[in-house]
Amino acid sequence: MPIPDKIAAANKINEFLRGVVLQGGLRLKYRITVDPPLKEERDWERPEILVEFSGPDSGLLLERGAELLRAIELLALEMLRLPGNEHEKISFDCMNHRAMRLEELRLSAGVAADRVRKSGTPYQFAPMSSRERRIVHLALREQTDLYTESQGEGSRRTLVVYPKNYKPASHPVRKSIP
Amino acid sequence: MSEPSGDLRALVEQIAKALVDTPDQVSVNQVESEQSTLLELTVAPNDLGKVIGKQGRTARALRNLLGAAGMKFHKHVTLEILE
Repeated sequence: MPIPDKIAAANKINEFLRGVVLQGGLRLKYRITVDPPLKEERDWERPEILVEFSGPDSGLLLERGAELLRAIELLALEMLRLPGNEHEKISFDCMNHRAMRLEELRLSAGVAADRVRKSGTPYQFAPMSSRERRIVHLALREQTDLYTESQGEGSRRTLVVYPKNYKPASHPVRKSIP
Repeated sequence: MSEPSGDLRALVEQIAKALVDTPDQVSVNQVESEQSTLLELTVAPNDLGKVIGKQGRTARALRNLLGAAGMKFHKHVTLEILE
């Protein structure tokens, strides 16, 4: 389902970011684009609103895995009250970081798939956000000899790639509580 | 560009008001000392979840933003959400 009123959403983001830049003293410029053109046909991450930052403090946004950029994005998503499965309709980027990260994830997915095929054992990724896990799930969904699953909870949740008919060598013994 | 000038209290207030159901009940008190700024955020009791977020994510994002802005003003910024 598309965002009901994209112009209103974009205005709300603009108001928020104006505050961040003016009151927060961050030397950043930003551009908000509704229905941005995409360079390629793709069925993953098709944002309806794209926010792009530039300016002297761009580096600050991208430190520690773009922690500040993600924080600003999360605050904007919470303000707009978008349900979790619609979060990818809005994308915050800076110096093409997001686009490069997506490409990196798709490449990692390919490398992991090869490794699982060759070794016959599962491959576990480092913990990632749900949006990033989704990219990997989608990147591998047409590989019929493999399947992907997420395990763990919260910020430790990770994606695992399995060979199709994988059976663990031994199941951990489950103790039942009397 | 010139030295940053801004108002972190106003920023927290603006963001909190945009997050909650009852913006009228948002207030932010600022306690200033030489090297640090303490911001005390109060919201309506049933809006607490909105400013804290799932697993504290919203509060963490807000603190993260304030940390970055604080660096610009050479201040250590602490945000307390009062219950």
